[in-house]
Amino acid sequence: MKSTCYLIVLSLVLLISCKPGPDPIQYGFDGCHYCSMTIVDKQHASEFVTQKGKVYKFDASECMINFTKDFDSSVIALYLVNDYNNPGVLVDATRATYLISENIPSPMGAYLTAFNSKEEANIARDINQGILLSWDELGQRLRN
Amino acid sequence: MLSFFLSLLLSCGLAQNQTTIEVCPGCKVGSIKEAIAMASDFDTILIKKGTYNEFNILVDKPITLLGEASATIDGRDQGEIFRIVSDHVTIDGLKIINVGTSYTSDYAAIRVVKSQHFTIRNIVLEKLFFGIYLERSDNGIISNNKILGDALDEYNSGNGIQLWYSKNVVVEGNLVQGVRDGIYLEFADHITISNNHSKDNLRYGLHFMFSNDDSYTDNIFENNGAGVAVMFSKRIKMERNTFRRNWGTASFGLLLKEINDAEIIGNTFEKNTVGINVEGSNRINYLRNNFIENGWAVKIMGACYTNAFRNNNFIYNSFDISYNSKLNDNVFDQNYWSDYTGYDLNRDGIGDVPYRPVKLFSYIVNRSPETIVLLRSLFMDLIDFSEKVSPVFTPDNLADTHPLMKKRI
Repeated sequence: MKSTCYLIVLSLVLLISCKPGPDPIQYGFDGCHYCSMTIVDKQHASEFVTQKGKVYKFDASECMINFTKDFDSSVIALYLVNDYNNPGVLVDATRATYLISENIPSPMGAYLTAFNSKEEANIARDINQGILLSWDELGQRLRN
Repeated sequence: MLSFFLSLLLSCGLAQNQTTIEVCPGCKVGSIKEAIAMASDFDTILIKKGTYNEFNILVDKPITLLGEASATIDGRDQGEIFRIVSDHVTIDGLKIINVGTSYTSDYAAIRVVKSQHFTIRNIVLEKLFFGIYLERSDNGIISNNKILGDALDEYNSGNGIQLWYSKNVVVEGNLVQGVRDGIYLEFADHITISNNHSKDNLRYGLHFMFSNDDSYTDNIFENNGAGVAVMFSKRIKMERNTFRRNWGTASFGLLLKEINDAEIIGNTFEKNTVGINVEGSNRINYLRNNFIENGWAVKIMGACYTNAFRNNNFIYNSFDISYNSKLNDNVFDQNYWSDYTGYDLNRDGIGDVPYRPVKLFSYIVNRSPETIVLLRSLFMDLIDFSEKVSPVFTPDNLADTHPLMKKRI
């Protein structure tokens, strides 16, 4: 009985650990994989997770996109970015809305900020001006 | 002749406006805002000792604000304290506490906006968000200030001294601790940074982004997240600075990324995880520096051309040089290496056999960092020795052909 219990727990652990998931960023300790800067900004950090579960962390969304230029993007399972209005919270980067506005500086000089909801991004755009982009539009813009 | 008239004009101007307005709690003029409103150009406002609960103080005329010892402005976390929007403003000898925190407006204790010829000195800042923030402001002096942040485990903090689109500013003799970046330069050219002490900051002691023709000399950068980062900048002079005890996995004494034409002379790198981490940097001269007891003295990550290391001391580092690409046209010549085991038969002070600073093991660690646990093992000593005798993996021309026998003092 006991051994089956162990078996179940063990298999659960294996199952959970095999699924690639986000890894919390340790602000002030982790370094950016692209530019080596220490990650401290809880509103602009980002990370992606490969299918094998390896996590690459970045201090800014622009660093993540620049890094993936030379990276086989087919192995990436998850893209995550900080939501500007919830410092420290990582959200799905591919569904976020991006604001490029000179009035909100981002760590690597792209003035790029991510918002989880489109409404909040609209509000921020009204206050700070700039342009709104989707994930795909952003990718095209930065890759060229 | 012209200068005579000018000086005459200036002295007339000064003679006319020699008024000093005194401010103290309970006096006729009880607040700083009131005093500024009353003042005419080039007046001095003397702030007597006491605590003033004020914030959003707009300084819109050329005046001097002089604080007596223990004159304190308490912002009560409401917003920024001073906003200077006029040329020729001096703020001297005040203590400012409780600056408001806002991630969207970046509140600062003292913000200088589009102004020239300002002086900010002898200020003590505590409980702050951003300290001194220059925005499109040129030709100023920031000296002898104490910026004491408390951002020890709170990562939402601002920078101590921030220069944004500013030129010809002198930053000297300041103490900055416990903030995000001690001194941060973004699009700031012709800046002189000297004799500052920047320690215990979360990210960098000093940080350059897109800034050119700057110099920093005789500063101490201690126990920061990483010492100094110079990124995307040109023609930076770095002389006689001390970088010490910057420990941590993502930590460096000095981080160079995408910089060109720099001089790194006479600095000391002591007890850092990595002394200097270099990436994509060209035409840099490393002269007469001391690398003492670092994990890696110098880590070169690639895309580096025409760099020269001469007359440096490499003393008791776990790894002297780590290299993960071709040598390119980088030069190592006449350095002292404490690991050098060669001989000097003709007694000219220069070793007779070349020194190869790259260990094979450093290649292995570069590829899989976990292998660092094998650092002190006999096996690694063996493969390092065999690599030294006949290089296979390391660039065989990566050698100091004139290693010094004695360390350069």
